[in-house]
Amino acid sequence: MAIMTEQEAKDLLTRALSFSQADECECNLAGNNQGNIRYARNTVSTAGEVSDVTLVVQSSFGQKVGTATINEFDDASLEKVVRRSEELARLAPDNPEFMSILGPQEYTDTPTWFDSTASVTPEQRAEFADASIQPSKANDLVAAGYLEETASFIAIMNSKGLFAYNTATEANFTVTIRTEDGKGSGWAARDYNDVSKLDTGAASAVAIKKATGSRDAREMEPGKYTVILEPAASSTLIGNMIGNMGQRQADEGRSFLSRKAKEGETLPEDAPRNRAGEKMFDERVTIFTDPAHPEVPSAPFGGDGAAVGKTVWIDKGVVKTLPNSRYWAKKTGMPYVPQPFTGGGIFGGNLPWVMEGGDKSLEDLIAGTRRGVLVTRTWYIRQVDPQSLLYTGLTRDGTFYIEDGEIKFPIKNFRFNESPIVMLNNIEELGKPVRINGSLVPPMKLRDFTFSSLSDAV
Amino acid sequence: MKRRQLITTALAAGALAGLGVPLRARGSDADFYFTRLSYESGDWDVDERAPSNILNALIEYTTIRVDLTERVIALADPAMLGSPFCYLAGRRLLRFNHAERQNFETYVRNGGFVFIDDCNHDIDGLFARSFEEQMAEIFGPDALAKIPNDHALYSSFFEFDGPPRTSQELNGWGDDLVHEYLKAIEIDGRIAVLYSNKDYGCEWDYDFRNKRFMVNDNTRFAVNIVVYAMTS
Repeated sequence: MAIMTEQEAKDLLTRALSFSQADECECNLAGNNQGNIRYARNTVSTAGEVSDVTLVVQSSFGQKVGTATINEFDDASLEKVVRRSEELARLAPDNPEFMSILGPQEYTDTPTWFDSTASVTPEQRAEFADASIQPSKANDLVAAGYLEETASFIAIMNSKGLFAYNTATEANFTVTIRTEDGKGSGWAARDYNDVSKLDTGAASAVAIKKATGSRDAREMEPGKYTVILEPAASSTLIGNMIGNMGQRQADEGRSFLSRKAKEGETLPEDAPRNRAGEKMFDERVTIFTDPAHPEVPSAPFGGDGAAVGKTVWIDKGVVKTLPNSRYWAKKTGMPYVPQPFTGGGIFGGNLPWVMEGGDKSLEDLIAGTRRGVLVTRTWYIRQVDPQSLLYTGLTRDGTFYIEDGEIKFPIKNFRFNESPIVMLNNIEELGKPVRINGSLVPPMKLRDFTFSSLSDAV
Repeated sequence: MKRRQLITTALAAGALAGLGVPLRARGSDADFYFTRLSYESGDWDVDERAPSNILNALIEYTTIRVDLTERVIALADPAMLGSPFCYLAGRRLLRFNHAERQNFETYVRNGGFVFIDDCNHDIDGLFARSFEEQMAEIFGPDALAKIPNDHALYSSFFEFDGPPRTSQELNGWGDDLVHEYLKAIEIDGRIAVLYSNKDYGCEWDYDFRNKRFMVNDNTRFAVNIVVYAMTS
């Protein structure tokens, strides 16, 4: 019973809080049902389901905080976990950045839950895999893929009367299809809240086309080229940039948004020292998050229960808003800017951001290109320099040379060295955004993308 | 006598005077215009954005009056003989036909300046081999020689301690060497043919709006080449 109703969650959390003797107590309850199927060499290799519910209790005395976790919910267990958090809090040193818990909040409804996804059966998973494996086999290709759907809930309640509850579903599918000789490779990924939108056959057809088309790739000299980046090629780079927009990082001089003192200027100690308000990108760049977005929704609150609405991070090329913590907001006299809760654990989920684009399809962008390189996907991305946000990584699974509006031939993969800041200043054209990895990302035509060397991988 | 005056004088006195070849481009008050030489045998139309970045650097750093338009002139066309500076680049075969060879030799012997850029950044690639053979045939086997890294070219405007490195020298393409020198054919103690295996054209081939992202403007060396060509 991993998905609790709002009332069940409320009852359990009320019970847990009733044991609290701390100055403040906040409980987070999260559960999920996850189903998966994996295939390789055109055969299903593993399949399974995982179910769990976890309660996290955070107690505080003054500025001392302790946290304990449990997944048994009888009264004795609940009392045990609350006591444990209190013991830990008493042992903890004062947290100089301690902030009192939030009071009640008002939330909007967000379209994160779909029964279709929550009710996927093992038979359906087999059908999804089959729809990918059959066309691969029929084309003498080798498919490997993974499908995972998750139904989850999160509930937060604290001793100041805050209560938040949200349920969400998500289906993630990726497939790599290669030629039998291993010389051609194609890839596709799809993710939705509503699994009924998932067509693994159509996604695999894209991977099949890339695999057969990328055989016998020719070498092209590394250098600066006009590129068309499919959404999967740019989403990590831009996601990394958004992940590095934190106000504290910037104010402390650790990020690309840090404001450097000009000659003879002394920057104030306790005020923001960042580049918010500056135009740093092409005016076509607008990036926001919106928990109520119909295509990439999220919980309408942050991990601390703070209500989260639509937030524009970059507006027409201007850096508008930097996310911060409540402590940092107070210290610098700025409003608190939370981000939506996207999952527990140290990794959490991907922040579902939206980058605006145009109306053109990927094919339209290709048709309008005199000379360029089409990149299906990038991976193995590592940071080179946090101040200029320079990243390096590799293309893979289908890189092609475009001439006079047509894909002419496959080319060998490249290593790239590029900064999303430079990329987003080099926009020639943006296409219609599509969902990838939880975000909405347009295909992009960019000038002067830097490929630094060749890669032997497919 | 400066190189430019020399060319003009040579042209006026030479056989071309009767052919109605314009010695100066129409309506030009410019001291300098950028000539790219096209040729029959290979691919001359490489690194298309390099010239505009070079012109941009000349405007930025010097008082030379610059014509903003790159001129593509066939090496076989005697009009090339009036150029203050010529750029010739490619990756493939460089085999002069009769007219090309004649113009090249006339231009070089009469005080012209040609900057040759091997886009393969190879010491033994097709462009390098075929170009070097041509030079040996026209000017003798020892004419093309390494120039020292304290040559006047490296201090003609900015100070360099030899040819600046290019980012593509070790990118797995070409011979994978950093070429620590440039070669040249000198006529009367002046460089007439400057020859690079470093692929500067590729280094300077980017959208002009991206110069601002560079810590150091990498086209500064182009300023040295042009200023040397104009003043030596």
